[in-house]
Formats: sequence, C-alpha cells, structure tokens
Amino acid sequence: MSKFQRFLLKRLAISVLLTLIAVSVIFVVLRLLPGSPFEALVTSGNLNQEQIDEIRAMYGLDQSIWVQYVNYLGSLLTFQFGYSILRSQPVWDVLEPRLINSLILLVPALVTTAILSSLLGMYAGWNRGSRLEKFSIVSTTLLRSTPVFITAIFFIIVFAYNLEIVPALGMRSIRATPDGYIETFASLDFLHHYILPFTVAVLYYSGDFLLLARNGVVEKRGSEFLKLHRAKGLTEMEQLARAGRNSMLPILTYFTLRLGMIFQGLILLEVVFSWPGIGRELVLAIQQQDYPLVQAAVFIMALAVILANLLADVLYAYFDPTVSTSGGGSA
Amino acid sequence: MTLLNVENLKVTYATDDEPVHAVNDVSFRIDEGVNYGLAGESGSGKSTVAEALLGLLPGNGTVESGTIEFNGTDLTSLSEAERRDVLWEDIAYIPQSAMDSLDPVMSTGDQIAQAIHTHRNVTDAKARDRVRELFEIVGLDPDRIDDYPHEFSGGMRQRVTIAMALALEPDLIIADEPTTGLDVIVQDKIIDKILEIQERMDSSLLLITHEIGVIAETCDELSILYGGKVMEQGSVDNVLVNPTNPYTMGLKNSFPEIDEEDEDPVAIPGSPPNLNREPTACVFRDRCPFATDECGESHPDLVDLPNRNHRSACHRVKEAAQLRRDAVEPETWGIPDEGDADSSRGEVILETDALEKHYEQSQPLLDKLRGEDPDHVKAVDGVSLSVRRSEVLGVAGESGCGKSTLGETMALLEEPTGGDLTFDGETYEYYRDGNLQEFRRKVQIIFQDPFDSLNPRQTVRKLVGEPLTIHDYRTDEKEQAIVETLEKVGLTPAEKFLDSYPHELSGGQRQRVAVAKALVLDPDFLICDEPASMLDVSLKVNLLNLLRGLADAEDIGIVYISHDLASLVQVSDRLAIMYLGRIIEEGDVDRVAAQPEHPYTASLLSAAPEKDPTADRTRVLLDGEPPDPVDLPSGCAFAPRCPKAQESCREAEPAIDETGDERHRAACYFPESEADPTASEATALDDDEFPASANTDSVGD
Repeated sequence: MSKFQRFLLKRLAISVLLTLIAVSVIFVVLRLLPGSPFEALVTSGNLNQEQIDEIRAMYGLDQSIWVQYVNYLGSLLTFQFGYSILRSQPVWDVLEPRLINSLILLVPALVTTAILSSLLGMYAGWNRGSRLEKFSIVSTTLLRSTPVFITAIFFIIVFAYNLEIVPALGMRSIRATPDGYIETFASLDFLHHYILPFTVAVLYYSGDFLLLARNGVVEKRGSEFLKLHRAKGLTEMEQLARAGRNSMLPILTYFTLRLGMIFQGLILLEVVFSWPGIGRELVLAIQQQDYPLVQAAVFIMALAVILANLLADVLYAYFDPTVSTSGGGSA
Repeated sequence: MTLLNVENLKVTYATDDEPVHAVNDVSFRIDEGVNYGLAGESGSGKSTVAEALLGLLPGNGTVESGTIEFNGTDLTSLSEAERRDVLWEDIAYIPQSAMDSLDPVMSTGDQIAQAIHTHRNVTDAKARDRVRELFEIVGLDPDRIDDYPHEFSGGMRQRVTIAMALALEPDLIIADEPTTGLDVIVQDKIIDKILEIQERMDSSLLLITHEIGVIAETCDELSILYGGKVMEQGSVDNVLVNPTNPYTMGLKNSFPEIDEEDEDPVAIPGSPPNLNREPTACVFRDRCPFATDECGESHPDLVDLPNRNHRSACHRVKEAAQLRRDAVEPETWGIPDEGDADSSRGEVILETDALEKHYEQSQPLLDKLRGEDPDHVKAVDGVSLSVRRSEVLGVAGESGCGKSTLGETMALLEEPTGGDLTFDGETYEYYRDGNLQEFRRKVQIIFQDPFDSLNPRQTVRKLVGEPLTIHDYRTDEKEQAIVETLEKVGLTPAEKFLDSYPHELSGGQRQRVAVAKALVLDPDFLICDEPASMLDVSLKVNLLNLLRGLADAEDIGIVYISHDLASLVQVSDRLAIMYLGRIIEEGDVDRVAAQPEHPYTASLLSAAPEKDPTADRTRVLLDGEPPDPVDLPSGCAFAPRCPKAQESCREAEPAIDETGDERHRAACYFPESEADPTASEATALDDDEFPASANTDSVGD
C-alpha cells in the first residue's frame, strides 16, 4: 500500500466517523426540541387519542428511543429519508428540486468567483501598492461586509425596477410550465432570471478569495525561489504563475469549505430573489418541526461538508507534494 | 578577452528616510575562464553587485550610474525582454540559500527543464535527457529528477541549483555565498564540484562570499569590498599573501585557522559604516588604526601597485609593509593583549555518563495496538563527557549529528531518556525533583540566532534584567548588575545601550546582549549552541575571544557547540567530535587538531579551507551522507563512509577508549596514527605515546 493510499484510507475512515457523529447529533438535538410536529394537529382538536397513537405508530415514534435510533441510522445511511409530515410527500421529492435549484445558482457562482477573484488577487498582490490593488481590496471588502440582501435589493432596484433589464423575482416567469430539469434550466427565460442573483452571489464570495490570493502572493513575492525563477529568465507573468501556484493551498481550503456549505443554500439571497432553494425550505421545515425533512436536509448538508473536506485533503496531496509523504500535513 | 567589465557601478536603495548608498563606484573586470572572488563582510555591498549584474535588484534598488559590459553589450541599457534572454543563457546564478531557493511545489527536474525550455526550443524528452545528464554531472542520482526539493538534503539541493546553473553552459556563473549554511564537509564537496565542472565547461565564475578561505582556494583574482567600495583588488596570490590595505589585513587576520592556534586571530573592532550618504572620507576610517587626517578628507582612489596585478585604495599604501607588520598585533587595533591567561582548570563542574536522548517516532495505530516497540531516533546516544571550571569544551560535528540536542539535554531543556548527568556534585534527579530553578540559574544556554532569541519589544535593560526578576537574584541592585554585565561583555559604556531595542543594535551587539542575558545570573556553566554562526568573521572572533576570556576570568565551564572546527580550535581547551549521537573522538584540542585519530575527525579537519592561497591541502572527500539515525548500521556508525573500514568495524562498535589515553581518546579500531607506517613505525603497536605528535612543531599549550 503506497503512502498516498494509506493517507486516503485514513481520511476516509475519519470522514465516515464524522458522518456518524453528525447524524447522531441531529437525532439528539431534534428530540431535545420542545413540542412535536403533531402538537398542532392535537391542539386543533381534530384528532382523537387513538388517531394520534396510530399516526405515531406509523412514524415509529412509539418504539423505544434506541430502536428509533437504529432505524433512523439504517434509513438515513441508505438514503431513505421517509415521508414529510407536513407535505405528505416523500422527503426526497421535496428536497431534490430545491437542492438542485440552490446548487445550480451557487456552484457556478462559487467556481467563477474562485477563479476570477483569485487571479485578480494574485495580480493585485504581485503589483503591491498599485491603484488596482487598493481599489480591489476596498471594493471587495465593501461587498463582503455589506449583508447580501442589501446588495441584492440594491441590484434589484437598479437593474430590475429602474433599468428594467431583468426580472426582479423568481426562477422562471409565472407563465412557464417546464417539465423536468432540462426544460427548466435550458431556456433563455431562466437565464434572464438567473443573471442577477448569480452576479450578486459572485460579488458576495469574491472578497475572501481575492484577499487570500493577494496575501499569499505578497508573502511569496520576496522569496528566494522566485528570485531564482527570475534569474532563469522567466517573464513577469510566468513568475506570477509560480507565485500563485505556491499560494494555492489556502485558496483551495477555502474553496472546498465554501463548496460544502453551499448545500445549505444562501437563505437571504433566496428570500430576496424568491429563489426556490433549499435554504428557504429548511427554515420553513424547522419552523413547522417537520422532523424527517429537517433530518434529511441537515444530513445532506453535513455529508456535503464532510465530503468537501475529504476532497480538500485529496487535492492537498495533489497540489502540495510535501503533504502525502509526511502522512497528512493538513491534519 | 574581457568577459565582464563593471565600471563605476553605483547602486542605491530607497528607504523611508534617506537613500542607502550600497555600492559606490565599484569597478572590476573578469576575463574569460577566470574565477573571480568578491569578498567582504555583510553590508559591504557584495550581494548587491551580484543582483545588479543579474538585474535582480529588489524594487527599491536602482543602478544610479556606471556600466556593466558583458561580452561587449551594456547590460544596464538592455530592455527587460532583452535582459531575460541574456539571463541563464549567458549568465547563470547559484543562489545563497539552497534550502529555500527551489520551488517547493515543482519537481527538481522540472525546474531545471523549465530553464531549458525558456531559452531553447527543444522537446520535453530532450530536456529530460539533459536534466538526467546534469544530475549525473553534479553527482546526483539521475533517477531522482522527479523528486521534489523537500526530498533532498541541503547539500543535495545546492547540487540541484548547480545543475540548473550548468543547464545551458553559460559563459559566466555568479555564485552568491553558495556554501554558507552548509557543513564544512558538504561545503568542501560543493566547492570541489563547482571547480571540477567549471574547469570542464571553461566558463567564468564570480564567487561572492565572506569566507576568504574559500576564495583563496578557488579564485584567481578578487576584489575586497567594504562599505560599497573596492578596498583592494588584484590576483589572489598578491592580495591575500601581501595585503596592502588595512581592511584586508584585518579581515585576513580575523579569519581563524586550525593549524595556527598559537597565533590568536585579531578582530577588527567596531561595526560597518552607515551608508546613508555617499562616502566623502575613507569608508574604513572609523575602524582603521592607521587613519590619518588625510583619510578623513577623501576616499582614496584605487592605485596600481607597480609590476603586479594588484590595486589598493589606501592613502598610506606606500607604507604597506610596515602596516602589515603592525596589523598582526592586537594592540594596533586597540584590543588589549591579555596574553595567555592562566588557564588552569578547576574541578569538574558538569559530568555526563552515558547520557541518552532518544525520540520516539510516531507509528501506525495498528502497530501501537500490537504493542510493538516504536522506532527511536537516537539523537544523543551514550555520551560521557566532563567539563571543568574555566574550561571550554568544544563539541563539533555535521548537522544532524545531535550536537544541539546534546546541548539542550545538558541544559535539561530536554529530559534525558537514559544515562546520568551530574552538575555541581548533584545528580540530575536532584534537580528534576524540585530544584530545577536552582539549576536554571547556574546553567545558561546561548542560542544560535541573535535575531530571533531577543524579544524585539524589550529594551536591553529589560532583556538583561528579566532573568534577575525571574530568579529573584540581586533584585535590590538590579541596575548595577545589568550595567556590570553589559560592561563584562564589552558593551561599553553600558548606559548607551540600556534603552536601545534589539533592532537598533548590530548583529554582534545583539549576540553580546544574548551573552549578557546569560551571564547576569553569574552562572557556573554556559552552553553555547553555534552562537557565532550568523556573525561576520570579525564579529565572530570578538565573540570567541569574549567567551575565552570569560572562561578564564569568571571560572565558569563552557560547552561550545559548532560545526566550524577552526573557531572551535581557537576557543576550546578540549574538543569532542560527535557523529550520529556518539562521541567518536575526544581530547586536548591541540592533540586532536594536530593528530586526529578517527578518520572522521581527519576528514572534518581537512575540509576546512585555508586562507593562504599558496598552501596546498589534501582533501579527504567523504562519500555519501550520514545514515538514517533511526536505522543505524550495526558496528561502527561511520563504517559505511569510512575509507578504512574493515569487516571488524561492521561487526562491533568500537568504544570511545578503543585508542589513546586520558588526554586523547578515539573510538576507532584503525586510528590514523597506526595507519601511517612512516610516522608510527617505532611505537605504533603499543600506543602509550603518540609518536607523530612529537614531530609536529606548532603545538603549543
């Protein structure tokens, strides 16, 4: 077994363990919450005790907590999320479209901003003290520190209401009745709705990447190996590329971290743009104590973060040759 | 034919206050196929010259005036793109710190291939072939071209940069301190390699270093720089044998050498000049003992000395012969000659008996569960030493031999894992069980780096006074204790320094503060871990003399740890040579230096360069690198690299008293004294006496 394989195996084992812990925490926390999803039904007086018992038995809530836990683990880990209590629909049928909607908005935004702002940040760091550097830092910090809904509302006011270039709300126009994802997303109407939230998301994420990349390059700029690269006759841009390559680890870390968190959606953005994403759905589900839905959503989010971390470790080993041989420098 | 012609080069650095004039009117010329040396202390502008040649000056540095003519074209007038074409194709560069001048995330082979691809239009396969060839030339395994820099040791990384410099067979190679920071043995091998290759390629070499010895051995011509000015230049034989400039004389006299311990090195007092203005007077005037009024009026021009390749910038160049005679006397430089102070040694203050420090290696979980014994790194493995009062014990060895760990274990900063340590009549257990504070007061350690070991936010008063507060020692007369100690270490007048911060002091002064910090508690024992390795040669000698004086006057025992044998020989009474955690030779310093018994000691000694260019020295180049300390070979640890190793060496390990007597012992079955048949004919078999040491003359006590 090579060193890298052992490293990978170790990481995998840790990921599995983390998933188990996360799942258990969800289980305990939800049961610690006061009240139950059926309370509303009971207090409205429409159900008698027998019916309540029947419903509880249907959801398995009459069994001992340990049996519930084991059943819960088994179902969750086989991706059987059960039935939403309030929507009377399989949980996955509720979650899936929302999740896809969120991802289709945020993943391209994150990737775009990771590439563009990192490159810009590297360039700014290389030209330290230039106007470009100062301007880019100030503007991205401003965008980052303004709450995203304010930026969003500002954009809506300017581009949707004043200039009337794009629609203000929703993912598709009200009249559209698309069937399936391809029809939903592969249309000009969607693009029309998409462009504004996408831009806001890009701007929102940009500051962190820009600063990380800039700091990395500034730090590497005076280093001896760059001097040798310069002495070798590499052009300015080639040198910058090496400096950037050497400061990639923090950017990578941050990217994978954010990638994991995208599965939680960007609630404020979704609310402002009435984007039917997972963030909004989750808030709703928590409010109404829809156990199965919340459990499934939180599980997916936790799993995403854990997998993203695993991805980070693997990418580390690829991008930093010192990691794999020292048996996990990122641990 | 002239390859490089530098004329009246002036370089300044812009700073927040006023520009720093780093290089002022430097001119020199390198002919084809010539090795040229550029020597000087730090701050002399030698690296700035190299950076100006390569166009690598940092953003705030500008070439104010002057021309750099290379093969007939003026480099300073080239555009950025034109200069890139010249770089590496014609002028290659070997950087200073091999440890961090290779790109950590690019394989070494790719980095060399990158240099080839930048300048030549060749296929990948061809470039790779060339890289393999280059690896072979510099003595690296060609199968390792895909390895990353962190998989190589320091010496091997320097070989990679040399291979890189050779890739396009340039006309000129600029090597900026290529061996600083490397061990003597590795340094010797690298220099040998550079010379060998350069001879084969017939390129010129510009070697920049502060080690006169390295220049004396490798170069044909040199310039001595000081304060951004050329003080003296010409052929190495003339300049170094008969210097005509007081600075060269001072520099040469302060370079310690192994085989002249009767002649104390003489340091140049003072510190380098402030270069905030263009020099109007002789830059060396403030430190020069021969300065006259004339020297204050103008900086002397370089004057050709008749009938030889030799130029010197000194107003009193005509009196050079007389100055030269005076310059060897310490009094000339205002240093009181303490003479050979009474070095009678007191009783034993610290003794170790089979002291061990093993580090456990982390092991896989599975092995831990199975209860397998983890591997150990035996950093210190059974070291028995004793140090008396007023005695300086030198500990020498390559990096990684465990000498620093030994120092830290002796200071109980690391807990010993075996063996005994007795200090001042009490055992290690006594101190460990509640009396550590007392031990900490009596035993002080001075670390390697004076730049890092002082808190930058504390004044000298606070720095030196802090130990007093911690140990509640002389607290009622604190100020007086601080002043006394500062004066003891030569920071006079002490009042001038009390309120300074570390960044306001020079490197030598900082190290003195570090020494004062240790001495303020009136310790009985001092452990110095490479205290001089970051200092310029004249500062180094100052520190060595200071420590020597302290040992004699204050009656304290000192352990001086270093890889620099020449300075160890200067300062020590006894010398212990360490290899892979063990002491392999130990004895009185003159006997070890003059008549080494262990082959390893012999090769260490022979690796130190000579400052006299006429002297010949036979190199004993050791093969390979020290073995992995986790998985030591059985028998003598040195056997795999030893030129004399026999079967018996690999079977059983020789004990320290295998050869020799109390005053000089060595762990070797085949000591040097027995190997040389002419020297040891008579009494080699019964080795009570050392026949060869009787023949050597310069051995003095």
